Amino acid sequence: MKDSLVLLARVPAHPDSRCWFLAWNPAGTLLASCGGDRRVRIWGTEGDSWICKSVLSEGHQRTVRKVAWSPCGNYLASASFDATTCIWKKNQDDFECVTTLEGHENEVKSVAWAPSGNLLATCSRDKSVWVWEVDEEDEYECVSVLNSHTQDVKHVVWHPSQELLASASYDDTVKLYREEEDDWVCYATLEGHESTVWSLAFDPSGQRLASCSDDRTVRIWRQYLPNNEQGVACSGSDPSWKCICTLSGFHSRTIYDVAWCQLTGALATACGDDAIRVFEEDPSSDPQQPTFSLTAHLPQAHSQDVNCVAWNPKEQGLLASCSDDGEVAFWKYQRPEGI
Amino acid sequence: MAGSQDVFDAIVMADERFHGEGYQEGYEEGSSLGIIEGRRYGTLHGAKIGSEIGCYQGFAFAWRCLLHSCATEKDSKKMKALESLIGMIQKFPYDDPTYDKLHEDLDRIRGKFKQLCSLLNVQPDFKISAEGSGLSF
Repeated sequence: MKDSLVLLARVPAHPDSRCWFLAWNPAGTLLASCGGDRRVRIWGTEGDSWICKSVLSEGHQRTVRKVAWSPCGNYLASASFDATTCIWKKNQDDFECVTTLEGHENEVKSVAWAPSGNLLATCSRDKSVWVWEVDEEDEYECVSVLNSHTQDVKHVVWHPSQELLASASYDDTVKLYREEEDDWVCYATLEGHESTVWSLAFDPSGQRLASCSDDRTVRIWRQYLPNNEQGVACSGSDPSWKCICTLSGFHSRTIYDVAWCQLTGALATACGDDAIRVFEEDPSSDPQQPTFSLTAHLPQAHSQDVNCVAWNPKEQGLLASCSDDGEVAFWKYQRPEGI
Repeated sequence: MAGSQDVFDAIVMADERFHGEGYQEGYEEGSSLGIIEGRRYGTLHGAKIGSEIGCYQGFAFAWRCLLHSCATEKDSKKMKALESLIGMIQKFPYDDPTYDKLHEDLDRIRGKFKQLCSLLNVQPDFKISAEGSGLSF
């Protein structure tokens, strides 16, 4: 199982600091990293090695917690503990901060672009989720402030094809939002985790959502529409979400991130026990009650907590990870034979 | 025979009897003190919420006047948010503290107010003071 995940390269991305998050651009050619040193770095390949192509400094006064590329790949958003979100415009190797979104009362924990490219979501320790709309002139406008969570909101993610937003919180729940009559509303709350939910990932089809938590489990949730074949009860015209699988007993510490490969469907996790794990769905399992097997487990992937794992969107098996040790590592994952 | 038994009962059960009476007295006193404290808390808490919503309403009315002659599309988006906030405030059931969606509606009002501030590009500065008029020199 060790051979299924092979180290390709390691870079000291944010020296003397933590590397908090990674994001591949839609083309899969660049990797953005952000950290406690208040900087965002853009990495690209030069031959066989990964080099730093740009450094985005002067954007934030405090730790940058998350970064996200726009679907067109021309913009990068950075969410910071300084309570702001910067939007950077890419001009070849240069990035220019074109807007700073303010409004959150304290640390912004996450930022995500909707697949349409017209909407952006941010969330914060102030317990709110903000939805922003961007027009043709690069003007950003807040369209909704959602106060559904009762604690710090850790992560937001958009559905891959619908205008549907999911958020994860310190209040142990996952909430889902959609637009109803010109306003955004929370239409579902997923309960089940016994502690903070740190991250979320939709599967390639968008029918399932994976969540990872401080309770050391990964849960897979599925949406059931009213009058569904499986007989899952729904109230009125609202879809119902059910937890169809729980991966427990695999992680010995908090799971900080989960990433669902859009090419292969493999699920990678970043854990506080310094390890990276990969799970794959058993091909013969029932889609309503899937089973996942552990196909890779690399202990000591980093020397400290692994904060993020990110699958390359174009190159199969290419996985990037980052850690509290400030390093970014690149891995080649190969599904082991006979599983 | 029955008479002497009652006398013994009175002595033997005295402890329990006084215990019961004491409990009853204490319970009644506690209940009435609880009601007083509850009323005080309710008044304070209710006034806090009322004050907060009142601020939002005043803010919204003032801006509605200022934006009265709205011309641009951006202004109409602001007006829409303004009207939405005013509508939510007016629909809020002030005389029903047992309304089950009270906190949900309150959070929606707060969210709409924050969105409005973002659209208008104003940072709300007022502090909702629970101690009274909050005048300071």
